[in-house]
Amino acid sequence: MAIKFSIAEKMDEKNSVDKICEDIGEINPSLVIFFASSKHDIGLVGNELKNKMNTKVVGCTTSGELASGHMLKESVVAMGFDSETVSNISINNIDVNAISDSKIIEKVKNDIGVEPKQLDPEKHLGMIFIDGMSGKEEVVMDAIGRQFLIPVVGGSAGDDLKFSETYVFDNDNSKKGTAVLTVLEIPHGFDILKTQSFSDTGKKLMPTKVDEPKRQVIEFNNEPALEAYAKTIEKGKEEAKESFMTHPVGLMIGDDPYVRSPQRAEGDTMYFYCQIKEGTELSVLKSEDIVESTREFVNKAEGAKGLINFNCILRTLELEKKNQTQEYADLFVNIPTIGFSTYGEQFIGHINQTSTMVVFK
Amino acid sequence: MSGEIKRKLDKLIQVVSKGNPILETTTKTKLIIKGLDPDNFDENSEDNAEIIGKINKAADEFNVQL
Repeated sequence: MAIKFSIAEKMDEKNSVDKICEDIGEINPSLVIFFASSKHDIGLVGNELKNKMNTKVVGCTTSGELASGHMLKESVVAMGFDSETVSNISINNIDVNAISDSKIIEKVKNDIGVEPKQLDPEKHLGMIFIDGMSGKEEVVMDAIGRQFLIPVVGGSAGDDLKFSETYVFDNDNSKKGTAVLTVLEIPHGFDILKTQSFSDTGKKLMPTKVDEPKRQVIEFNNEPALEAYAKTIEKGKEEAKESFMTHPVGLMIGDDPYVRSPQRAEGDTMYFYCQIKEGTELSVLKSEDIVESTREFVNKAEGAKGLINFNCILRTLELEKKNQTQEYADLFVNIPTIGFSTYGEQFIGHINQTSTMVVFK
Repeated sequence: MSGEIKRKLDKLIQVVSKGNPILETTTKTKLIIKGLDPDNFDENSEDNAEIIGKINKAADEFNVQL
């Protein structure tokens, strides 16, 4: 069983591909996953990797790349898996504006031999990369949740904070308006870790008027949203706007928050990075030290053969602000790791300000 | 009348998960994300047509007959 990773730091497409092939080609990977800065043509990178290593390739653009001991920019990171580590691979291209459940079911059945609902949740994993500017993550995850009982984890593609165009690569093409769902059989098993580095303040907000598709909250607690939010965190409205990153809200599932991050306020209406359900109580969260809280989770992955980290761009920005990027990257120095700074994370649903990780045992 | 919401949610989770604890947690999480938290209801919860409609819709999506 072999997993190898590669870092092509600040190289052009051709040199990146050569470096990656040199680093991971020897294991004859059955699958290569790559994450590349948006300054790269990922169609070129993906197809060259596919042709040169005669393998399947999926990937997406980023807002920064991660690898064991490194937080990078303008680079490409890749991980290769041999056929003993991952097998029975099904790569599904999903048009986020016209999702066809039947197309996904047929494709998985053709590729793996069973319908999505019959996949073993302890041996099969879904890994998803979604156009991070599509605003369709909830719709996509809802559709996948209807058809798959296996865990599905992933991230929304980035574009180096330009917030213009993000791309995914589906083994053939680089596309916008698309999600790539890769279903894998992992015979040696895997774990999923999810850490958001927030604690529950115990303070609650009830969304009482929302525009769900627009990710807009008009009222909390039957009051104008920003006013109610500011009151709850005991700040004035202007000061409250500066607290969005440190005090997002969370849908509590047991003790585990599924973070919903405020993006901006227009008047008293608050816009979020994911949809908020009317009538579903939310907890106000308080930020903790990202490095320390992540360390606890990474310790659980000791001895892992590989790790893929989907780390929210807002977490990366906070790490940069606190000069903690190297400390964060070093948490993964003993585990072969790649990852990227995302525009949203996926685990069962769409979440924000979270790191979701796949650990290969 | 009361208790219908709890009965339907419990049955939906039971049928989808078939006793597998991983699937039970995942299904419960999917329902909470849809705004249907099973822990918010018990046998005494009043039957509410709007919520029952949401549960029936979720059951259809999971291909489950309640």
